[in-house]
This record gives sequence, C-alpha cells and structure tokens, in this order.
Amino acid sequence: DLMQCKNILPEYLEEPPEIKLAHQFAESPNCSSEIFRCTVNRIPESNSLLQKSRLPLGILIHPFKDLNHLPVIQCTTIVRCRACRTYINPFVYFVDSKRWKCNLCYRVNDLPEEFQYDPLSKSYGDPSRRPEIKSATIEFIAPSEYMLRPPQPAVYLFLLDVSQIARESGYLQVVCETLKTNLEQLPGDARTQIGFICYDAHVHYYLMSEGLTRPKEMTVLDIDEIFLPSPESLLVNLGEYKDMVKELLTILPQRYSTPGVPASALGAALQAAYKLMAPTGGRITVFQTCLPNIGPGGLHSREDPNARSSKDVAHLNPATDFFKRIALDCSGAQVAVDLFLLSSQYCDLATLSGMSKFSAGTVYHIPLFRAQRPWQAEQLTQMFTRYLTRKIGFEAVMRVRCTRGISIHTFHGNFFVRSTDLLSLPNVSPDAGFGMQLTIEESLSDLQQVCFQAALLYTSSKGERRIRVHTLALPIANTLPDILHAADQQCIIGLLSKMAVDRCVSASMSEAKEALINAAVDMLSAHRLAQNLPAGAAAAALHAPAPLRLLPLYVLALLKRKAFRTGTSTRLDERVADMCLMKCAPLPALLRVVHPDLYALHALPAHAHAHAHAHADAPPPPLPPRLQLSAERISMNGAYLLDDGETMIIYVCHGVSPAFLSETFGVAAFSQLPDEARSLPKVESEGNEQLHALIEKLNDDRPYPASILILRDNSPSRQLFTERLIEDRVESAFSYYEFLQHIKTQVK
Amino acid sequence: MATYEEFIQQNEDRDGIRFTWNVWPSSRIEATRLVVPLVSLYQPLKERPDLPPIEYEPVLCTRNTCRAVLNPMCQVDYRAKLWVCNFCFQRNPFPPQYAAISEQHQPAELVPHFSTIEYTITRAQSMPPIFLLVVDTCLDEEELGALKDSLQTSLSLMPQNALVGLITFGRMVQIHELGTEGIYKCYVFKGTKDLSGKQIQEQLAIGRVNAPNPQQRTGAPAPQPPAHRFLQPVKQCDMALTDLLSELGRDPWPLGVGKRPLRSSGVALSLAVGLLEVTYPNTGARIMMFLGGPCSQGPGQVVNDELKQPIRSHHDIHKDNAKYMKKAIKHYEALSLRAATNGHAIDIYSCALDQTGLMEMKQCCNSTGGHMVMGDSFNSSLFKQTFQRVFAKDQKGDYKMAFNGTLEVKCSRELKITGAIGSCVSLNVKGPCVSDQEVGMGNTCQWKMCTFTPSTTMAIFFEVVNQHAAPVPQGGRGCVQLITQYQHSSGKRRVRVTTAARNWGDAAANLHHIAAGFDQEAAAVVMARLVVYRAEQEDGPDVLRWLDRMLIRLCQKFGEYAKDDPNSFRLSENFSLYPQFMYHLRRSQFLQVFNNSPDETTFYRHMLMREDLTQSLIMIQPILYSYSFGGPPEPVLLDTSSIQPDRILLMDTFFQILIYHGETIAQWRALRYQDMAEYESFAQLLRAPVDDAQEILQSRFPVPRYIDTEHGGSQARFLLSKVNPSQTHNNMYAYGGDGGAPVLTDDVSLQVFMEHLKKLAVSSTA
Ligand SMILES: [Zn+2]
Ligand SMILES: [Zn+2]
Repeated sequence: DLMQCKNILPEYLEEPPEIKLAHQFAESPNCSSEIFRCTVNRIPESNSLLQKSRLPLGILIHPFKDLNHLPVIQCTTIVRCRACRTYINPFVYFVDSKRWKCNLCYRVNDLPEEFQYDPLSKSYGDPSRRPEIKSATIEFIAPSEYMLRPPQPAVYLFLLDVSQIARESGYLQVVCETLKTNLEQLPGDARTQIGFICYDAHVHYYLMSEGLTRPKEMTVLDIDEIFLPSPESLLVNLGEYKDMVKELLTILPQRYSTPGVPASALGAALQAAYKLMAPTGGRITVFQTCLPNIGPGGLHSREDPNARSSKDVAHLNPATDFFKRIALDCSGAQVAVDLFLLSSQYCDLATLSGMSKFSAGTVYHIPLFRAQRPWQAEQLTQMFTRYLTRKIGFEAVMRVRCTRGISIHTFHGNFFVRSTDLLSLPNVSPDAGFGMQLTIEESLSDLQQVCFQAALLYTSSKGERRIRVHTLALPIANTLPDILHAADQQCIIGLLSKMAVDRCVSASMSEAKEALINAAVDMLSAHRLAQNLPAGAAAAALHAPAPLRLLPLYVLALLKRKAFRTGTSTRLDERVADMCLMKCAPLPALLRVVHPDLYALHALPAHAHAHAHAHADAPPPPLPPRLQLSAERISMNGAYLLDDGETMIIYVCHGVSPAFLSETFGVAAFSQLPDEARSLPKVESEGNEQLHALIEKLNDDRPYPASILILRDNSPSRQLFTERLIEDRVESAFSYYEFLQHIKTQVK
Repeated sequence: MATYEEFIQQNEDRDGIRFTWNVWPSSRIEATRLVVPLVSLYQPLKERPDLPPIEYEPVLCTRNTCRAVLNPMCQVDYRAKLWVCNFCFQRNPFPPQYAAISEQHQPAELVPHFSTIEYTITRAQSMPPIFLLVVDTCLDEEELGALKDSLQTSLSLMPQNALVGLITFGRMVQIHELGTEGIYKCYVFKGTKDLSGKQIQEQLAIGRVNAPNPQQRTGAPAPQPPAHRFLQPVKQCDMALTDLLSELGRDPWPLGVGKRPLRSSGVALSLAVGLLEVTYPNTGARIMMFLGGPCSQGPGQVVNDELKQPIRSHHDIHKDNAKYMKKAIKHYEALSLRAATNGHAIDIYSCALDQTGLMEMKQCCNSTGGHMVMGDSFNSSLFKQTFQRVFAKDQKGDYKMAFNGTLEVKCSRELKITGAIGSCVSLNVKGPCVSDQEVGMGNTCQWKMCTFTPSTTMAIFFEVVNQHAAPVPQGGRGCVQLITQYQHSSGKRRVRVTTAARNWGDAAANLHHIAAGFDQEAAAVVMARLVVYRAEQEDGPDVLRWLDRMLIRLCQKFGEYAKDDPNSFRLSENFSLYPQFMYHLRRSQFLQVFNNSPDETTFYRHMLMREDLTQSLIMIQPILYSYSFGGPPEPVLLDTSSIQPDRILLMDTFFQILIYHGETIAQWRALRYQDMAEYESFAQLLRAPVDDAQEILQSRFPVPRYIDTEHGGSQARFLLSKVNPSQTHNNMYAYGGDGGAPVLTDDVSLQVFMEHLKKLAVSSTA
C-alpha cells in the first residue's frame, strides 16, 4: 500500500527484474540490461493480455555504449538466417551439428564448415563454443559485401557562430582551446579530415592548402544562394595540416573578439556544410549562440517571456521545416549534425533541434552561457572534450528484429527511419539511447520466449566496417500477475517520458501530462484487477505490485521536470532541451535527471567508517544510501549532495557542525561560505577526501563529470536545490502524497 | 616666312596640335566644299619639359558662358589692368595679385611662347593613383607564374604611395583583403551573378573614402591617403601582396574533358568597377585586368565552355551568328560608362593563343583611355616589357600616365565643335561652342579621359558656322582653346591650357591660300579615325565607298587637270602623298578585317584611335628601310620592287617590326659567313637592322611583335601583305620582272589605284 509507505525509495538503485528463460536457455548469456531493456521482462502471450496489464510495451536500447569487454570477431562468412537475416546468436536451436534454426523466424539454416571452428581454443567441434553463441553482444568486422562504397574516413566539420552575441559569450576561445588540446585524440586514422566554417551575416570558409603559409578566410556574402568558394582544401587532412589547423584555432578567437553584427546565417552555413560534407559523409558540429535570424531558415522569436509559466505551452513544434529538410539531406549523405546551443536568449531550439533529430545528431544545451563564468567554461570544456574524444561510428544503420508476432511501431531517439525496422544513423555515439514501442500482432502462446536483435552496422573511425549485434531473449507470460511482477518500472518511466514528449508535440502539454498520470492509474488499476481487490473509492489503500511501486513517484518526478512542468517559469528552449534529453538519453542518465539522487554528506564519515576496508583488494565501500527527495529528509544540521547527472548540488544547512565545515570546506563558520560556489575546495582532511572520492565515484559512469554547485540554505538561489525535492508540494504541483491521493481516486 | 611644313612642325612641337587646314575657310559653305573637315589633332599631355612650373590658378574670362583662360592672344591694357577675351571680347579686370604687371613684367601666360602652359592647383586635394589588379587564374602553371612575376615587379614600379588592390577570378571571383592580421582573407563571389555598386557597398560594408583635408602647413608629414581594407598603400601592403601573389594558385575547379575553364571575367570586372565606384569616385584609378582567355560564363560571357564551339569570327558576326556578342557588348559598355563616369580607367592585358573577347570588351579601354594589350603569352617579352612600360617615367622622373582628366574646348564664334574621336567619353556639357551637328562623340564641349599619356591624341572636329554673307574681317584670326584638367601622377591637380589661332582665308577668292595650308598627314590620320569610327558602327563596303568618294572629291577640288583627261591630272606637293595614304588605309587591317580575328581588329583599331600622328601614319602606311652593301640604310618604297635578293629590309608597321633577309643575304647567313673574320662587313650588315629594330622596340608602347624572316620564310607573308603589289602574278609578265619579287595577290596595285582615281577625278560625269 503506497499510501502507508513512507520510506518507499530503496537506498540503492534496483536492478531490473531478473529474466528467467526456459530451461533450455536458462544458462544462456542474455544481453546486458545496460544495453537492452524491455518494459516488462516477460512478454504477454497475447495482445489482449497486454491490454489488460495496461503496461506500455517497449524496449530501450543503448547500442553503442562504451564496453569494457566486447568480443570482436573477423570471419569470412557471418552466419545469418537466410530468410530474415538474423545474426546467429545464443538463442538459436541447433538442429544438428550442420544446421541451426532461427529463433526469430524458425527457418532451418545450414551451418558453414567454418562455424565448427572455435577461435578461442583453435579447435573444431561444438558450434556452441563459438563466440557468437557465447555472447549476446558481439561485434563482427564485416567483409566487403557489407560495404556499398569504401568505408568513409572520419570527417569533422565545425560550424562556429561568430555573430555579435557569439562574440560576447566568449565561447569560441573555449571551443578552440579544447579542440586544439584534443586534436590528437580525435578518433580517426591517417585519412581523417577536418574543416571549419564561421558564420555571422556571411559565411566564412577556411582554406588550408599546400601553397599557403597560413589559413585563408574566404567569405561568401551571398547567403541566399550559398556556394563553396573552392572545390578543395576546405576540408583538409588533419595529419598533414595539423599545424595550420592549430594556427587557425589560435587565430579564430582573436579574430572574432571584436564587435560583430547581430546576425546569424546558420541556415546558409548548414547548406554550405552539407555541400562540403556530402561527398564523404561525416560529422558537422554546430555551435550556436543566438536565434539564426537571416538567410535560409531565418527565424523570428516566438517565445513570450510572460508566458513562461503558463499552463499552455506553445511553440513546441518547429517554426519551419528547413532544419528538418537539411537534416534529411545530410542523413542521405551520411552526415550527422550535432548542435551545441550556448544561448543567452531564445534560440528556438524546437526548430533548431530538427537538424540533429533527423540526422542522428545530438543536442547539447548550456543556457545563459558566458565563458567568463569559469564553471560554465569548465562545463563546456568537459562536455566538448568528451564529445571530441569518445568513440564514433560513421555511416551507420541499425536494424531491430523481433520474433515473429511482435512488431515495432514507434521509434524514439535521433535518426531517420529508412524502412520499417531500419534506422539510418549517419553517426552513432556511445552516449545515444533509443526507444521502440512494440505491438503484439499474433498470439505468442506457442512460444517459450521472444527475442529481439539489434544489429548496428557502422564504419569505425579507423575505416573498418563493423557490425555490433545485441540479442535479448525474454520469456513469455500468460497471466496478468506474472506480467505485472515482471514489469521494469525504470524502463517504463524511460519509455513513458519519450512517449510524453511525442504527445506534447503531436497533441498538447496538458494531454501529455494527463496521459502520464493515466499511465500510473492504469497500471495500478490493472494490479487491482489482477489481485481481485475490491473496487471503488471505499478502499483506503492504494496497492501496487512491488516492481511498480516507484512508478507514481517517478511519474510525479517526471511531471515536475522542466520538460513537463507548468506553473513555474520555464524558458522554452530549456524545456525543449529537456525534451531532447528525454528522447535520447540512455536510461541511467534519464533516471538521474528525472529523479536525482540525494545523499547526506554529514553522514559520510560514519558510512565510510562502517565500510572501512583494510585491504587494497577489498571491494570499495558502496555509495552512501539515497534519501527521498523531500524537505522532511533535510536536517538543518546537515549537508547534502543532490546529483542529477548534469549538476551536483551541495546544499549546506545553517546548523551543520563547524567541524564538518572546516573539514569539508576549510571554513570556520557557516557565514564564511559564499552564496554560491562552483567548485569544491581541496582541504587536507579525511572528510574532504571522502567527499571528493564520492564525487569521483558518482562521475564514474557518465560521459563527463557533472558540474558542482555549492549552496547555503539561505543562498538566494537555494531554490535550485529545493525545487528538486519533488516529493514536496510546490505552488503549482502536487506533493507526492497529494499525487497518490489523486491517483487513488482514479484507480478503478 | 617659314614654309608651311616648318610652321606645322613648330606648332606641333609647341602646342601638340595639328590642324587638317592651317588657313581656315571663312564661311560655312566654303568649309563644306573642302571635303576634309577642319579638325585638330591634339596631344593634351605632349611632353614639354621646358614648361615653367606655375603654382597658381588660371585667370578666367568673367563672362559666365565663356570662362576662357587668359592667353597670349588676348589684348591687354596694362595701364587699366584689363584684358580682352579673344573668344567673347569681354573686357576683364586682372585679379588683385596681378597689380604689378606691365609690358616689361608679364605673367608667363601672356608670353607668346607659352601658348601652351600648365598650372598646378595647389589648393586641390592630392590623391595618389589607385591600381586595382584583376587577375585571371584560369591559366596554366607557366603562364600564371610568369604573370605573377610581372605583377610582383610592378609593385616596385608603382608609386609607393599608390593604393593597390587585388581581385582574382576563375570560376569564382575573389576580392582580397590586404593587411588582415594573422590570416589571409578574401570575399568570394559567384561568377554568374552580377552585383550593383550599391550591393557591393552593402555587402562588403564599405563606403566612400573621404580624404582628409590637405595639409596646409608645410613641413608637416604628408597626410596618409585614405584607404580601406581592399585598397592599401603599396608601401604598407607590399609584403602582404607579395605573399598573396606568391601563394596565388591556378583556379582549382576541375576541368572536364573538352571543356574550357569557366572564366568569370565579366563579373570580375563588374566587381572591380563597383568597388572603385563606391570607394573612390572621381579619383584617378586604373583597373588592370589580366586575361588569359574568354569569359565563358555569367554576364559578359563571349563563348560557352564547350571547346568544340569556337569563339565567334568576323564571318560569324557578319552572318549574325555570334550568339553571345550583343549581350556581352552591352555588359561591358555599361561597365565602361560607369568606370568612365567615375574617372576610372580599365586596362586589359590579354595574353592567349586564341581570342579572349577584346572585341566585346573594347569600350572598357576605348572609353576610359585604358591600355589594350594583346599578346600570345604572359611569358613573352612583348607582355613583360609592355607592362613595365605602363609605369614609364618622363625626364623629370614623373610617371607618364595621367588620371581622371577632362578636356574642354573653346572656340571663336565663327566655329562650333561637332565632336571628338579618341579614347574618351562625352561629358555631355552643352555650351555656346557646341554644334548641332555630330561627328564622333558630339553634342558636348567636354570629354573625360580617365587616363592618358603624352602620346594620347584626340581628334576634335569643328565646323565653320560663319555665313557667307557675313565674312570674318580680313586678317582676322580664329582661335581655339583646349583646357585639360587632370590628376598628375604625383597626385596634384593640374590644368594645361593650349590656345591656338589660325588665319581665316576666303576660299572663294583665294583657294590656293587655303590649299597651301593643307596638312595631308593630319588629314590622313583624321580620315583614318573617321572611317574606322564609321566601320565600328556599320560594317561592310559602304565604309570603303565613302572613303573613296571623299578621296575623289578632294582630288576633284584640289587637283589640276583638264576635264576628262586623266593624264593631265596633277596634285600639288602638299596633297601628293594623300592618295597613297588612302590606298594603304583601304587595304590595311583597319578596314580589311577578314584576315584577322575580331579581337585583332579591335586591338589594331584601338591603337589607331589614340596614338599620335607619327605613329598613326606608320600604322596606315608602314615604313620600309633597306640595308645593303650599296650604302647607308635608306627608306625605300613600300613596294614589291623594294624586295631584292641582296637587301635586308626592316619594316615597321607599328604592331610589328619585321626584318626580312633577301634571297642572297639569307643564303649567306645560312652559310654563316657572318662568323668568319673576313666577312666582318656582312656581320655588320646583318647587325645594323637588328640594332635599329631594337631602338624602336625599346621605345614603343605596346612593344611590337618582332619578326625575323627571310626570302621564302613563312613569316615573310607579313611583309608581302603590306607592300604595294606593283608586281603580282597578274601583271609580272606584262611588266617583265626587273628583279623585284612578285606578290601573290589580287589586290590592285597603287598604280592601278591611281589610274582609277585620276580617271574618276577628271571625269565630268562623276
Ligand atoms: Zn530467421
Ligand atoms: Zn570670354
């Protein structure tokens, strides 16, 4: 009973429900839940059963996640089903030593001779010893038939806004410095190319060629009919021109430090970039600081600052399809467009994000960016460094196959759907997540299990064509309680958030929010049905199955996210940026954003002490327990850390002990703490070390470290912390308890 | 009294002026009967190192409609300090600063010797010249390299305070910024899209550059010339420009098989004109365009990029089959007018084996006074030396080029101006001196010459308006005054004033007085300009027929003959060469176009319309010298009979310097007698014409084509096409060869031409 359960949040993040396959495959390796995850870990045997459960059915996938142990094999023939092209995987049936039965379409296929060979033991024998059978995630180095053309080189083009606002922001210095530092770390081989385009009212290209002693800026004024000023040398070989590239990166920030013009011809610059990149494919990185206001795709401000807290949120749809169209052109040419929006004013991200959405790019957003603010410069540096140095896959496609009877009907993420099950991903990033909604089209009652296979064909930065294959097998359930008990609430909230974003755009904010609440109501109603609990409002309790007990909390948290909140002043671009994140972030990151982790710092020494380990090889102490996001949990004598992935807010209450203050922050008294600090000082003390260690540990699993914000409980911006205490009531939204009551009235 | 020949020479030396008639017919009707109109050939900048430096401003007639300049022909009342204008007879007081003048103490402008005088206007703002280089990059490596070398050299030849700019073009057009910190910068434009001056101004964010006020105090450093990022003083940007030029590569766009490069000359020139127009209007500037092929796209296109489509020929034009011509001409004419209006000149240095479209572009040079140079290669000495000579200096060390000039003509009431032919445009300034009739560029008394040199010669046409009933007083003189204001290469504003007067004569009573004053050389050059001006407007035989008719009428008027007796026909000495000039003119490349390309015709005509009288005569009737053991070199007749086996000939056609070795000489030369000590005199004979040729090559602009050939050599055809075919395969048997070389031509010989002329002149029915 949720109404009675005060301490609902487990101290540690729970693992998804275990997948128990039938005996034949009970020992088979299944795909990691970090990569492949389904909203329910037992698939209902029929659509009607699914409908009864009221659960959303879908999968989340993080296909290019950085992995420590990835089996890679090179073979002359990649064994695939002749009928449905499924890759051989741990869940196939070996009819005999020469034949295998496809687990998706059930066709019996011949097994090539080669497959008897075990590359590990270097001996012939049992096909089940093959890596393809022993790992649910595997990567093949593709032979030439997987190439339509020679694998493309890594090509990086940077589009830099140099308008008045861009110059004022000072971002160029940060970006150029970071890029200069990381040039050697850019993924690629001897063929890697790089290029730059700056734009304000005009488009500036940079020519680097053998005959030149320094880069040459070629400016095209005609932004309405943009063209390339040179057929060559605008994208240059990074190895050969490294010195000139570095020189350019030194010159650019100086060159564009003088006052500029309040005009930004982003559309023309993108057209230029497309022309430049189309012959090879590659990655376009856009840095934009203001509303692109002239030339093709020019926009007008649509945000009404007075309506930032209004209930109806307008302008979530693009103002023009220009950016979508150019993204589709790019996608067709194997070019992805990533957007770094470093805005200080409204930029219409709802429109601009189209360039990344349809080209499989990513949107990064640092609102109110100023390079003079060290923490923002630092945040950009960290973000951009990760971006530059992480793995990248080029000219990729991802196909997701399902056991016959199940089909995908909606995809979430950034891509272009080329055919029903094929996503075009000009670039694939290890930080990109995807979601798919499923329907059960046929009865699955004859089956023991259902399989999903995602195959990502891409070109590595070294110019190899590779295929990464993930296969997930799930058992079938034929009763409602079985299904409800196999529900994966984290995955569900991941999928619901994506669906809600779509709903905002296709319908309205209020409908989307209504739908989120209904989803929680529906699932709890299904549980009531499953448990044969008495219907009606008379029941005082609100019962939930254990695997779904956090769902109302998560839904409430989601409703209070920037993406969906109303009644609180929210900039349109920040709202849209949050929506972009919901659509693309891998599940752990998404969860942290929706429901941040709160730790008590004053209890840290005690926690560490309890888990003190004597030996170097002993397991490190686990994280401190999480606290529920409620003011009730905040003691005026405490200090806290709230981690939402992007930022870690250290919140210090006035009653905290002077010992803690001096040990942790190196100050004698509460009043000596600044209103706002952006870094944690290093103090020679155990407590300080422990906190640093904690932060480091928390940062471990994310692309780049979160930024730090230290607040006092009487700081002017303390609401940055308090607004994240989602269990509490705020002016315009329910507290958790009110929310449960609201749900209870609706559960039938 | 001096002969007319001496008189003409003196006047030319002093004033740079020659008239077709040196005694002027006193009435309109008589003047028209003289056939050759009254025309002055005037060199506004004729070199006069002896002129005194005058640093005050000319004194003008106070009558508003006159404003003539005080000159030695004016009557002066030294006591009353008054002068009488010799054009309008206004009595003018001298300005206060002339209070001290007396008969013994005259200002220079009243000294009879200074009928030509030059004033330097010190209060006017001084502007260094501007050179905007417009460089074709659709060249092969060698051509571009040679051109770059020449351009580098030119930086050291330019005045160091001159402003210089660079535009390059190929498929696209680049305007280069000079002196950008840390980076090279250029603006790139599509070669297919024209921009107006206003658009250039807006897009490049540049505006008119306002000069600072000229420094009043002496000793203060010279003010920096106003500059902007596209045009910088040579001394400031020569490093940057040297780098830019050395890094300038060929047009990088790939060339398809069977394709011409896409060359955007039309837009490049338009941008150059626009750039100067918005930044330095009405300031001396020259756009120097270096062209290695035809414009093949965009406005000004003269051919498409299919190599299999050749560029138009005279034949195509004649058949109205030159697809791009009219539109292109319109484009370039509009540009010429814009440039000329702003005082900016356009030079075209065209070096290519095929045509480059000079025919379409001709007005750019013709209207602005800019050079048109035509060569085969930028790597030729013809181009290299010619280009260096653009920056030639005079004895005083001043550049010979002048900028942004206007020529204004005033004349006595009995005369009116009908027009001018030369490298200029009309400024459309009407005045009491302007006739309703129009010859050449008329309806104005002022013309703009954006750039000109000492050899630049204008033909100014007059008509006598005096009615027969109101003859001018006997003994009276008619006057013309030519006022040239220009920007000297030093940047100073200067005004040169030439006042010339000639006696009136009564043609009805004393035709021989008037005839005696005929200048047949001037007349030949004037007729050449007139006929070429006509030929430029209308193509075909009518032009030649008109020229013939004029010649016949002149012979009828001034020949002595008995009616219908051709043998009795005689012309006095100062008319005697005129028919020959006309004979050679008719068969010259100026009028016989079909052996040349339209570009060549354009180039030849361009030179004829600007050069001085002496050079023009050489163009009309080339000079032939003979070198032999028989004596010192001597001029010989331009006739087949001059071609002899034991002679070396040196022919100067202005455009070509040709040395022709007669058959025997050629054999000896082949046997290398010149290398043997005992035949030193032969070596000397071989050397003599070469040395003489060098002398001409050294001084002429543009550098002529140098041809060394011999009897039977393929290039001997250049000689054979010029000489009078007195002996041809048609008549050699009849005449029975006397050793001259027969010429294979169907042209009529001079003799035949003269016979026809005499017959027609004496005919009572003609
Ligand atoms: Zn299959
Ligand atoms: Zn007067």
